Amino acid sequence: MEFVLKARGLVKDYARTRAVDGIDIDVMKGERVGLLGPNGAGKTTTLMMMLGAISPDEGSIEICGHQLPGGRSEAMQRVGFSAGYMPLAERLRVGEFLRMYGDLYGVVDIEARIEAGLERFRIPELAEAMGTQLSSGQRTLVGIVKATLHRPRMLVLDEPTASLDPDVALRVRTGLRDLCQSEGTALLITSHNMVEIERLCERVVFLSAGKVIANGSPEAIASQFETEDLEGVFIHLAQVGAEQRERAERRAQETDHTA
Amino acid sequence: MRIRSIARRHYYVMLRSPHRLFDVTIWPLVDVVLFGSIGAFVAGSQSAESRAFGYLLGGIVLWHIIYQAQIAVSTGFLEETWSRNLLNLMVTPVKEWEYVAGTALFGLVKLILGTGLVAVTALLLFSFDVTDLGMGLIPIGAILLTVGWVIALFVIGFVLRYGSGAEALAWGILFVVMPLSGVFYPVDALPDVVRPIALVLPTTYAFDAMRTLLDGDGIDWGTIGISAASTVALTVAALLFLMRMLKVFRARGFISRYS
Repeated sequence: MEFVLKARGLVKDYARTRAVDGIDIDVMKGERVGLLGPNGAGKTTTLMMMLGAISPDEGSIEICGHQLPGGRSEAMQRVGFSAGYMPLAERLRVGEFLRMYGDLYGVVDIEARIEAGLERFRIPELAEAMGTQLSSGQRTLVGIVKATLHRPRMLVLDEPTASLDPDVALRVRTGLRDLCQSEGTALLITSHNMVEIERLCERVVFLSAGKVIANGSPEAIASQFETEDLEGVFIHLAQVGAEQRERAERRAQETDHTA
Repeated sequence: MRIRSIARRHYYVMLRSPHRLFDVTIWPLVDVVLFGSIGAFVAGSQSAESRAFGYLLGGIVLWHIIYQAQIAVSTGFLEETWSRNLLNLMVTPVKEWEYVAGTALFGLVKLILGTGLVAVTALLLFSFDVTDLGMGLIPIGAILLTVGWVIALFVIGFVLRYGSGAEALAWGILFVVMPLSGVFYPVDALPDVVRPIALVLPTTYAFDAMRTLLDGDGIDWGTIGISAASTVALTVAALLFLMRMLKVFRARGFISRYS
């Protein structure tokens, strides 16, 4: 199997907390991987490190054979990124926005790619719309089209369907599955929608407190935690995390009293 | 292609933000009328000091080279933060120098518009023709253009490190550089206490060389040489500073401010 992403021993500390604590993640060619975990588990920091926007304190990241940070530009040529929370650049029409990013990725047949991308997610009518006129669902779809214009080897999506209507979320999932199957694009996706991940991903990496605590198919992980589905796993981890935090706070208070 | 794409992105922004045209229309007009009128008054009241007329108008025309170059690159970068487009750009193959080059390339268009307007207005309203300075205008203009870009690199570095709180520097820093550079008067006119600062600024020597030209004493290559050498030193310092701030930006995960 061909590695698209190989991350080893990632560690990231912020002022008072360790956000990522020794994470290893692999993504193979054409594989659809979900990166899950409760709030504060380290998902977004991990993604940002893989995209070169945040530098790890320890560990290594290799994308399609290019090591970060030295090979960042070459690596990013092979990666597409979109996030549900990212706005489009203001004062640009959708077509201009897509053309700009197509140029940044060196896409030659840009007009045909834009047309095909907008068709894939069934939004061809938006090409002339201003970015500020779009609904959040439309923005998300345009963001994904932008991320796929250059036919990336790996598509990284952070909460792509957050705040989307179910029918638009379905359109996103259908388009993504079609993209991965037709072009062999690998997918690394974070989401709080467990059902979506079960439907879309072949493998799931579960994070908690900055560590990988489970890595396998959705069914295997559910069975590992003796729950019916990923949502059960998520709730279990969130409860365990809350209990751990409570215990840590109690210990800290006891230490204060003793002192 | 990437550099052209960045330049075109800023063109779209200016096209759809009429208030941005103030930088290249209204402010240059205000400056030239203000300083031209002061110059005309001084020249009319004291014939011995008639040189002040040329100093003021020459100063304001050439000052706009720095102003336009600096503002175009600084606000070009700030536009990415205001529209939360920074993360989108950071995860593309665009290299840092390509981004700055694209923004500066578009800045040249603004510079030609803004400085051209100032020069034409000075000619029409006050019969002051800046091209009378002759070939000496070329090295002085090149130095001032470079200094404008270099100041913008410092501003970008501060914004990367300190966030939106440092944005005011994009406009404010020029109000510090202008009086210290002796744009309108010989540096001897400055208070003793700030004169040492003026003497390390490349702009001080560039404007000094401009006054030599206005006095009809030809091109002062010695002064221009000092200005060019200190511009090179300042450029190196700015690049090192920017690289350092970018490293801090990535290490501390400051991208979260813009996503």
